[in-house]
Amino acid sequence: MTETSAPTSALVVEEQETRPGFIGTSVPRKEDRRLVQGEGVFFDDVKRHGMGFVHFVRSPYAHAKIVSVDVARALELKDVYGTLTGDEVAILTDPFFEMSVPPGSEIKDYALAVGKTRFVGEPVAAVVAATRELARDAAELVEVEYEPLEPLVDARRAQEPDAPILHEDAGSNLVWEGVFDWGDWDSCVAAADHVVRIKELHFDRFSSTPLECSGCLVEFNRGTGQWTMHCNHQMPGIGAIWMAPALRVGTDKLRFVTQDIGGAFGNKICLHPYFVACCLLARKLNRPVQWTEWRTDQHTANAHGNERWFEDTEVAVKADGTLLGFKTSAIDDCGAFPRYEPLGCIIWAQVTPGCYRWQNVHVDFTQVATNKSPVSPNRGYSRMQHLWFTERVIDIVANELGLDPVAVRKRNYVKADEFPWTTPNGCVYDSGDYARCLDIALELVEHERIDERRRDAESRGKLLGVGIGSTLDSGTNNFGQSQLLNPDLQFSGNNEVATVKLDIFGEVVVTLGTVPQGQGHETTAAQVVADALGISPDEVTVRPGHDTYWNSHAGFSGTYASQFAVTGLGAVKGAVDQLAGEIRTIAAAVLGGVPEDAVVLEGGFAKLRDNPEAAIPFMGIGAIVNANNAILPEEIRHVTLNCRYVYVPPFEVPDKERKYGNLTLTYASQIHVCVLEVDPETGAYEIVDYAAVDDCGNRIHPQIVEGQVHGATAQALGAATHETFTYDEQGNLLTPNFYDYHVPHALDMPPLKTGYIESPSPFTSLGAKGMGEGGGAGIHAVCAALQDALRPVGNPIVYDSCNPPHRVWELISNPEESRGRVAVESR
Amino acid sequence: MLLASVEYARPRSVDEALSLLAANPNGRALAGGQTLVNVLKARIAAAELLVDLNDISELREIRETDEGLEVGPMVTYTQLARAEEVHRGRPILGEVAAQIADVQVRNRGTVGGNVCSSDPTNHLPPVLVALGATMKVAGASGTRTVPAEEFFLGVYMTAVGSGELLTGISIPRREGGDGFASVTIGVDGTCIVNAAASANGGVRVALGCVSATPVLVEVASADEESVRAAVGAAELDPPSDIHAPAEYRRQLARVVATRAARQASEAA
Amino acid sequence: MSEPVAQKTIGVTVNGTTYEREVEARRLLVHFIRDDLDLTGTHVGCDTGNCGACSVIVDGTLLKSCMMLAIQADGALIETVEGLGADGDLHRLQETFGEHHALQCGYCTPGMLMSAKALLDENPEPTEREIRRAIQGNICRCTGYVNIVEAIAAAAEAGT
Repeated sequence: MTETSAPTSALVVEEQETRPGFIGTSVPRKEDRRLVQGEGVFFDDVKRHGMGFVHFVRSPYAHAKIVSVDVARALELKDVYGTLTGDEVAILTDPFFEMSVPPGSEIKDYALAVGKTRFVGEPVAAVVAATRELARDAAELVEVEYEPLEPLVDARRAQEPDAPILHEDAGSNLVWEGVFDWGDWDSCVAAADHVVRIKELHFDRFSSTPLECSGCLVEFNRGTGQWTMHCNHQMPGIGAIWMAPALRVGTDKLRFVTQDIGGAFGNKICLHPYFVACCLLARKLNRPVQWTEWRTDQHTANAHGNERWFEDTEVAVKADGTLLGFKTSAIDDCGAFPRYEPLGCIIWAQVTPGCYRWQNVHVDFTQVATNKSPVSPNRGYSRMQHLWFTERVIDIVANELGLDPVAVRKRNYVKADEFPWTTPNGCVYDSGDYARCLDIALELVEHERIDERRRDAESRGKLLGVGIGSTLDSGTNNFGQSQLLNPDLQFSGNNEVATVKLDIFGEVVVTLGTVPQGQGHETTAAQVVADALGISPDEVTVRPGHDTYWNSHAGFSGTYASQFAVTGLGAVKGAVDQLAGEIRTIAAAVLGGVPEDAVVLEGGFAKLRDNPEAAIPFMGIGAIVNANNAILPEEIRHVTLNCRYVYVPPFEVPDKERKYGNLTLTYASQIHVCVLEVDPETGAYEIVDYAAVDDCGNRIHPQIVEGQVHGATAQALGAATHETFTYDEQGNLLTPNFYDYHVPHALDMPPLKTGYIESPSPFTSLGAKGMGEGGGAGIHAVCAALQDALRPVGNPIVYDSCNPPHRVWELISNPEESRGRVAVESR
Repeated sequence: MLLASVEYARPRSVDEALSLLAANPNGRALAGGQTLVNVLKARIAAAELLVDLNDISELREIRETDEGLEVGPMVTYTQLARAEEVHRGRPILGEVAAQIADVQVRNRGTVGGNVCSSDPTNHLPPVLVALGATMKVAGASGTRTVPAEEFFLGVYMTAVGSGELLTGISIPRREGGDGFASVTIGVDGTCIVNAAASANGGVRVALGCVSATPVLVEVASADEESVRAAVGAAELDPPSDIHAPAEYRRQLARVVATRAARQASEAA
Repeated sequence: MSEPVAQKTIGVTVNGTTYEREVEARRLLVHFIRDDLDLTGTHVGCDTGNCGACSVIVDGTLLKSCMMLAIQADGALIETVEGLGADGDLHRLQETFGEHHALQCGYCTPGMLMSAKALLDENPEPTEREIRRAIQGNICRCTGYVNIVEAIAAAAEAGT
């Protein structure tokens, strides 16, 4: 039962009807065979004759003038092929395109540090040698003289008068600032029965640290001026937009070739500085040049997720627990260079009220630069930070007013029959049933027994807590939201491309505009094509990976932001529907000049519906069009059986004055419940039960969807318990590798229960919604569970997104400190 | 990430190994490599010669004696965890070895490596101190024994001097019961704080991670209050780092000490 | 060989094929396998020996090849992911990994498979906890390990 309009009730697990066809079934993944045999092709697997290996010389200082760079000794080493310095980069390239308004727009960002270094690990020079080891040896011989400057590591200080300034060209550490004001905050405060004030909440820096590090193997063709980069860039469209003007060439001169990518999670979007350095080296040295990022470099000098402070939050609440609105000042720390920022300053507004029916919202938003690693759109980008905030707010409000966390959420959730729901800033939540998902999650952890479990934990000296995390995956961006930050930006809408063709031997071949990193695009695309053509997914060839030379693509092509099911598969569906039509056109003519709708496609044949024995195999159709077109009537000789479709979602440019408009097309949701036990003597805790319930509309491939939920949960739990990129006062990263930055392994994972419902999206051709990022629900749930667990020991407030044992112990030993952050004014 | 240039030798006997180390003051013994190779990759330490001990079979034995157990320094954590002799004689060694890192590391990492690297977060130094083990150190001038309490001299520093090798560890026979408790980064991860205990009437508790070397506390009785008081009175100098501020380590030290002591007295 | 050397010609047998190559003493086994032998199934994911993507089996022992020097493997029998199947057939672990969606990006998968194989070779009927312990040294960022544990259990159940 697939709905194409807003459903009156969501489909539930037990009531699932099997749909005909392959969409909705967990077919074997096409990617698996090569990957389980170690025959995947990741960029570091590619070799070229005569290639040189790059090692970057990196700054040991968070903030310093570069007085001189001397590569002479490095060049003396045998089999060192060459070097690159910031001075060369400043001559040969132009600074990368900045998206902000002044002063942020004045920032100059190059492939290597020019004149100054602004974060520990920033590449200052590059050495290329015959082997990896030699490049490493030679890098040590490069002599760099620095004049250290005072570093800025606290975003809250960035705009103080005596704060060190990172970018002299900008004259300020401010990257962007703005005010978001919707509804009527003053009236809603006046109407409130309680105003809950929260001094400071902090969303910590972390990242999804994909197992494969970044990198590229770059070849330069001197004859044509073409660069070919075997790499793992996940969004080549924007990569080219940054790199081409910097290198002073057209985007077509930059060929990105990817096949298999070992995870990206948004960490492989801002690779352009490194890639430009490698392009310059490949051209300068006239040989292929390969750079593989080391783990330590990925942690210090690739990209982190946004760190965000929420200051002086006020929440207006009615006596019955209805939330009327909130006001907050957000300070976002984007690290040393904005790059994809300041988009994070608006992206959160896709989910302004979170899952809730808040109508009055006021946010003062400031983004500043600090002497830390730059950020990039890490999984959940900017929405996760904001959704954590809304969940903390609702949890703290419930805590302070003595309200039941389940009841207060259900009271304030957008209700199933209210979809499509328009948020205070004009975003349209397409469908969902958050209360239903919450009920399923509570059932999965046997919530009705929670008091019994609490007593049992107590008897063992442990404190049990249960917490809810509600989140959204807003997917398919309207890039017009960038104009709300900078009205001069010429970005709006979105697009994705796919081609599907029928070859001479009847082979169906698909190319995607997306750049998969494990999401199973080859497989799900094949499912969509198979259903449209009446064949099996095994008979559909999807070209693995993405090659910008050969795969058709458009400005926003790439894999990011939970959108493939809508944009990528929307493009595939559009292309295959066209192809199906063309097959029917040819078949109709050949099978006796019948109307096209008399032809059906089944089992690899085009048949007459009323006389199935009159049939042509696809091979026949392909052969005729490719090699025998004189037998066709003239009016259909234009048919090529090679169909390209650009999916364009129905967006408009948002209203810049009011900062109002629809910013994303679909809204998948996840509701998680976490049950944990705290050891009050140590602050260590163990998650003893966990449920994740997701709703992403029609699920194209259930196993893939569930796999994304598992993976997002694991990453969120890591971020909640251990993962943090913390800096010392000198700007040194204290967790520069996997030894200190602990990511969950198989023994760390709790028992994980999952459930799902399907609220089809009324806005997409397949009723599916993009999903995958997962919105950090695990972080929200763990924070809530900790707060619940610690209520008997002084009722501390959980105010940070990351709570390793020492922080929990601090909350237990000094609850007054965190309680001091909260105040309730009751009328 | 990648080692600097280095020379490599693979002796077949202890004497050969000692000659190589004596002839090359910048040489290092290579045991399991689970610490040393990483340290060399990061170029935090340098070595001109690596003397690989993996072919010296006599260093890999576990023997039962009248006094207890003789454990060779090249015995891996996996070997220690599985050895019948250990299970019979002093099971705490095997139980602790089984908690170290992960399968791959346990298959190569050695008792000698764990002990000689003297990393304050390592598992075995406090265990050996609590058990009252004795180390055998061989050099050009012969072999000497060093009690575990005197073996660990500082962070990454032990009584094994230049040109010397740890050639054996003597574990006294179990008289009472042993225990071990820790708080780690993730399950079975690196220790934030650990404590090993050996109870026989009174209890010996050796604390790890709270000073440069294990801190031995001897308490007349294993009850919680006495142990806490003894730990509270001990001279600790815990570091503050990303995983734990110093004050938190002090708190944890009291907790893991009492837990290890309880486990030991219950096993006695 | 007790004379110190800076490089050596070593012989290693990988998945049944013997190779002879000259290596610097400092060359890591993982780079030897990937770059000198062109067996790129074994992966590098970190620089501190934590992630397990480089896991291989050397003389019957599962270990991380980033913490072993190639020169130490002279004369050794090495098994990598490329040798798991036989005669074009997949190892049952490779099959169950596919069936249970135990891989997404596939980068941790070779190391994960070698750890799983080492487990099942020694313990054909592992409990869930034993499975999780066996892959504790293999980091995966995509799957949350849920399906990996299921796949290994399924392979165990399928037996030899």
